[in-house]
Amino acid sequence: MTRLWWTQIKAVIRLELKKTFFAKRGLWIYVVAALPVLLFIAYAVAMSHEQHRTTEIAREGERRLAYQDLLAIKPGMTKQEVTAVLGKPPLVFHWTERRPTGPNSTEEILHEDLHYSDGQNDLYLGLANGKVQSINIHEGYNLGEDAVMFAGVFQFFFLRLAIFFGCLGIFMNLFRGEVLDRSLHFYFLAPIRREVLMAGKFLAGLLATCTIFITSELLQTVAFLWHFNPQARDLYLYHNHGLEHAAVYVGVTFLACVGYGAFFLVAGMLFRNPIIPAAAVLIWEGINPFLPALLKQFSVIYYLKSLCPVEIPVSPGTPGLFALLISNADPVSPPLAIIGILVVALLALFVSSIQVRRMEINYTTE
Amino acid sequence: MSDRIIFEDVSKFYGEILGVNRVNLSIPPGITSLVGPNGSGKTTLMNLMTGLVKPSRGRIEVLGHPTDDPENLFKFVGYSTQFDAFPKGLTGFQFIYSYLCLSGMPLQDAERTTWQTIERVNMVDAASRKVAAYSKGMRQRIRLAQALAHNPKVLVLDEPLNGLDPLARSEMIALFRASAAEGCYVIISSHILHEVDVISDQVILLSNGYVVAEGQIQSVRSEIQEHPTQILIRCDRPRELAAKLFESETTIEASIHNDGHGLLLKTRDADRFYLAMNQLALNGIQVESIAPADDDVLSVYEYLIGNEEVVR
Repeated sequence: MTRLWWTQIKAVIRLELKKTFFAKRGLWIYVVAALPVLLFIAYAVAMSHEQHRTTEIAREGERRLAYQDLLAIKPGMTKQEVTAVLGKPPLVFHWTERRPTGPNSTEEILHEDLHYSDGQNDLYLGLANGKVQSINIHEGYNLGEDAVMFAGVFQFFFLRLAIFFGCLGIFMNLFRGEVLDRSLHFYFLAPIRREVLMAGKFLAGLLATCTIFITSELLQTVAFLWHFNPQARDLYLYHNHGLEHAAVYVGVTFLACVGYGAFFLVAGMLFRNPIIPAAAVLIWEGINPFLPALLKQFSVIYYLKSLCPVEIPVSPGTPGLFALLISNADPVSPPLAIIGILVVALLALFVSSIQVRRMEINYTTE
Repeated sequence: MSDRIIFEDVSKFYGEILGVNRVNLSIPPGITSLVGPNGSGKTTLMNLMTGLVKPSRGRIEVLGHPTDDPENLFKFVGYSTQFDAFPKGLTGFQFIYSYLCLSGMPLQDAERTTWQTIERVNMVDAASRKVAAYSKGMRQRIRLAQALAHNPKVLVLDEPLNGLDPLARSEMIALFRASAAEGCYVIISSHILHEVDVISDQVILLSNGYVVAEGQIQSVRSEIQEHPTQILIRCDRPRELAAKLFESETTIEASIHNDGHGLLLKTRDADRFYLAMNQLALNGIQVESIAPADDDVLSVYEYLIGNEEVVR
């Protein structure tokens, strides 16, 4: 019997995948999934341009500098001392400022901005009357900052919006779409258990969403790493848990598809208008940080946030409510989070299995 | 294990709208036609029979199986619906093939069976075309193919002859008859009464969600007491025969047939009339044939339901 069910599930998957991947009404899902990739590509292009500029400045400098050389400059050093360490600056801007010192007297101050580079990092020095007043080092690669930026895009756009709405578009349509197309009876006329049909449709939806969003996730990682030079890439991937993080992001993407997929599968059976459940779930997921501990557990984002590998730091000036959204005050351990999502998904699938048995073909009331 | 399709006090309501009410049926093998005007409950009855809708009240069994178990039910039931929508992007071949794969049939067997079924409905040439590009008649035939693909014991066909040309109609009717001859249960709904009359072993007449009559058409006719039975007698001297027949108290009306070679008479008791005919001395009147003139579906339909939406 299990073998027969598996054969039937495969037949459902074959039919559904064709429809899901090539449905015109699902094109927007590809756009949503591609948005963060485009964002990281744009970021990588901008960073590459910046690096090219930095390299050019380094090349125009009198000496080949190391990062340690840039760090050697201290406030109060004279221009001669700076030049002795870093050589003649490749880029200099200067201007004169007249500052009043009394009723009829002014003081003339000569400002100079010196720009050095070691090929990766920029050093901006502000001099006034020949002495260093301000030092600003702009690091070409800041793995920590970039990882937080990636985590931010992942948590706030990819997870909460792209995957959320992508799953809505795909899973809600598994049954609802066919009711609207008046073609669901094709499945209901086959000698197949309704639960097996539901399982097949869910797996097809899962396969489709995972393919779309995991591909997007991997492309985001590639785009994100594109502008790093090979050394920085190795440093990030192998010494800074980058590879591990990438794997965790893929895993979280998969679990998000499982959780939201199960939610929207049942919603597609219970509601005619997808806007109502989508808004309800979006609000429920949004207010999750403010919910009591027990209710928090009936949410997908609660577990997903606990699984995200990079915590987004809350800066001191962040408003309280927003800080609560960012931080995960009550995280659960990864095994518990995975079990939690699977339990939530199984609960939703259980409700779906009851609902699918009750479904009738009555297109005229739709 | 019952060998019939059984409805026990079945009612179906769509909200406040009545689908069918208090239906009791026991359908034997052979061709059974569901006859009734639009909205009389034919499709609802078929959907109930195949589990596509669930009864609000009552019990349905198809050859001993409940209708809420599609996994077993559709092993021996094939349903060609009136729904004119198909899964998107499929060719005729893929439509049947996917259906057989859904049934759990191994892929090679499914492919072979698909071609055989497509051949049965004469769709080989169009099999590789998208169903969306089919004409109405072709869509009807491919739906029939889906219902027939797994050689079901029970064939439920909702208006199966709609959109078919005369040749295809006769082919399909032959197909239904062959299935019935093999002991299958063929349930057909139709508006086209003369076709129903030709192919049906028994009829179920529906009106406003109620079963008005069921059974073999002759026995249904004989139960309609308020309409006298009409009998057509072919003979050479109809006027003389009419005079003689009025001697019998069973004859209540007689009229000469339009061609002048027959007599159409009405009687309240056909059995007594036939007995009386045997005892009549006909004085050399040549009687060619005696046959009932209104024990067809059309007459029964008109007597019981009226002549709304009848296609003769």
